[in-house]
Amino acid sequence: MQRIKFIDKMYQGKLSRRQMMQAASAFGVGSLFLPRQARAAEVLTCLEWGGYDAPEYFQAYVDKYGAQPNFSIFAGEEDALAKVLAGFAGDVMHPCNYSVARFVNAGVTKEIDTSRLTHWPDIFPNLQTAEGVVWDGKVVMAPADWGNSSLAYRPDLMDDDFKADPTWEIFYDEKYAGRVSMSDNEIAITIGAMVGGMPYDEAYKLEGAALEAAAKEWGTKAVNVSKFLWTDSSEVQQAMASGEIIAAYAWNDLVANLRGQGIPVEFSTPKEGMFTWFCGLTLLNTGKADEQAAYDFIDAWLSPETGKTLIEGSGYGHANMKSFEIADPEALANMGITDPIEMMKHTIVFKTPSDAVQEGFNKVWADTKALKY
Amino acid sequence: MSIAEETDPVSRSRDTAAIRRWLRGYALLSPALVVMIAMLALPVAALVLLSFWTQNGFELDRTPTLANYASLVTPSAEPTIWFGIPFYLSYPVPAILMIKSIIMSLTATVAVILLAYPMAYFLAFRVTRNKAMWIILITIPFWTSYLLRVFAWKIVLGFNGAINSGLKAIGIIDKPLEFLLYNPGAVTLTLAHSWVAFAILPIYVSLEKIDRSLLEAASDLGDSRLRRFLRVTLPLSAPGTIAAALLVFIPTVGDYVTPTLVGGPGGTMIGNLVQDLFLKQNNAPLGAAVAIVMMLIIALVVAIFLWAIGYGRIRARRQ
Repeated sequence: MQRIKFIDKMYQGKLSRRQMMQAASAFGVGSLFLPRQARAAEVLTCLEWGGYDAPEYFQAYVDKYGAQPNFSIFAGEEDALAKVLAGFAGDVMHPCNYSVARFVNAGVTKEIDTSRLTHWPDIFPNLQTAEGVVWDGKVVMAPADWGNSSLAYRPDLMDDDFKADPTWEIFYDEKYAGRVSMSDNEIAITIGAMVGGMPYDEAYKLEGAALEAAAKEWGTKAVNVSKFLWTDSSEVQQAMASGEIIAAYAWNDLVANLRGQGIPVEFSTPKEGMFTWFCGLTLLNTGKADEQAAYDFIDAWLSPETGKTLIEGSGYGHANMKSFEIADPEALANMGITDPIEMMKHTIVFKTPSDAVQEGFNKVWADTKALKY
Repeated sequence: MSIAEETDPVSRSRDTAAIRRWLRGYALLSPALVVMIAMLALPVAALVLLSFWTQNGFELDRTPTLANYASLVTPSAEPTIWFGIPFYLSYPVPAILMIKSIIMSLTATVAVILLAYPMAYFLAFRVTRNKAMWIILITIPFWTSYLLRVFAWKIVLGFNGAINSGLKAIGIIDKPLEFLLYNPGAVTLTLAHSWVAFAILPIYVSLEKIDRSLLEAASDLGDSRLRRFLRVTLPLSAPGTIAAALLVFIPTVGDYVTPTLVGGPGGTMIGNLVQDLFLKQNNAPLGAAVAIVMMLIIALVVAIFLWAIGYGRIRARRQ
């Protein structure tokens, strides 16, 4: 009866706009006529590193919205960039100081309005203006986590010669074939060139014939000597825990996690140098979610509570100065240096290669791996 | 006109009947046709189009060019040596991986047929009761995801995996064997296991269809069991065996999940290169060109294979 009445009224022109809308919305049609804001908000979509999708890293966001955002996990920034360029509608991405420029140059980022981030004033002042956070005069990345890339090894299984003088050379030395694991990353070529005596400042921007020669010599050695090239950190941690490999290119979390399991492991400072990186969150212009949700997510990452979790859980540093005040003193002692600027003075900070250089490295690294047999 | 009008009623009704039959045929076919066009023909057409464009940094240059194809065969004075074979190409990676993938796939296919044929034979000739149950048992591997089956091999072959810990427990080895995982052998083994179930059913069907009186006749005329198998059973089951071989060979050449999980860099196949070109090197046009060349080469290999085994003769005999 209801239905017939409705049609009759419609024919007679007695139906109000409101009634019409109500009926239409019952079929989901109404949403087409409603203003954009009134729609149920799209869920925030984040491109994240594996492991960073755990809610303790953005608890404030979960508290406010009652749910986690959607995640897409990537193994390296270049994968994530290719995905975004192929049309993936992400709102937030987690690049690092050396890789954020790729996203800016590709035209997929938005400038960050730091006044919308409540924790911004507590960020280390030097990080607020560091290259990578600021690019072309605009803030494009809110710095969140920082740490080291270095050589981790099992002191109980490693020979004494190495322990006396740690060096990246073992990743290119036949003697260690099948007992070490390099990261599946073009950095293997850069480090190889450094072992060959080239300073980092030249090695990171190799191009053309020089790059091909370095890939042929050092890349091939790295691929042949490594037991496997690791792509996710749990894989390399398991292999190191079981003794399958005795040394690996690693981040701080490997050391923190293995020590937590009672496995002896050292994070060495190779004579060629250890690396420092800092990563953060970037707003993408490809997203569909409300911009405020993206800002809330970034702000949650910058909170001192997240910093405390990061410091205590994985041994990484955090960009918020206050997180070091509330973190467990023992965890701080394990970290060693707790000031990112101080850390950068003693280590090699990853630099941003030009797009052409990065693409060259991507290609030679893929070719080098493919030619292994 | 007048003559035509006179004959019209008859021919028109015949025409409409033919058209109706024709329409009915297409109506029955249409769901499959729509899916084929939307999911296969259009994407392949897009791939072909893409392969004639070029990637220029983040921009896609839409000027049609053969540059991507040319780069696959550009000669170089300095050879790249792979397994002792010199490749005089300036970009030898696709050629090398193509050859390697075909060799690995052929090995896996031969292994699959060798494994599947006896199983299908047993099923067709020895099992007399509960055949349906046996067939269901054979499909059990399909009940788990392909990814899980591949991952299981990673656990079986791993450093602390089933084989190594087993051998260690018996005392045959004192430190784990390292050559099991992350090489072409591991990929071939995993492919063979994952695809064996696909091969059993077509072979079984063609064995099941063999007229048993032919076998009796062969025995009565004095053939030994081996000769009977070689002269009657094997030729008559050839169509199913060929179908099984193609069913395994064609998809495994381009597989990329298995090499990613158990191959390591040494087990890389052509599918991995296509994936890398699309997703990591941000060079989709070159990836498309490699994919299309791969399709053409597979088609060629299949054609050579069918010609070599005399598929034409087999078909002629059946008709």
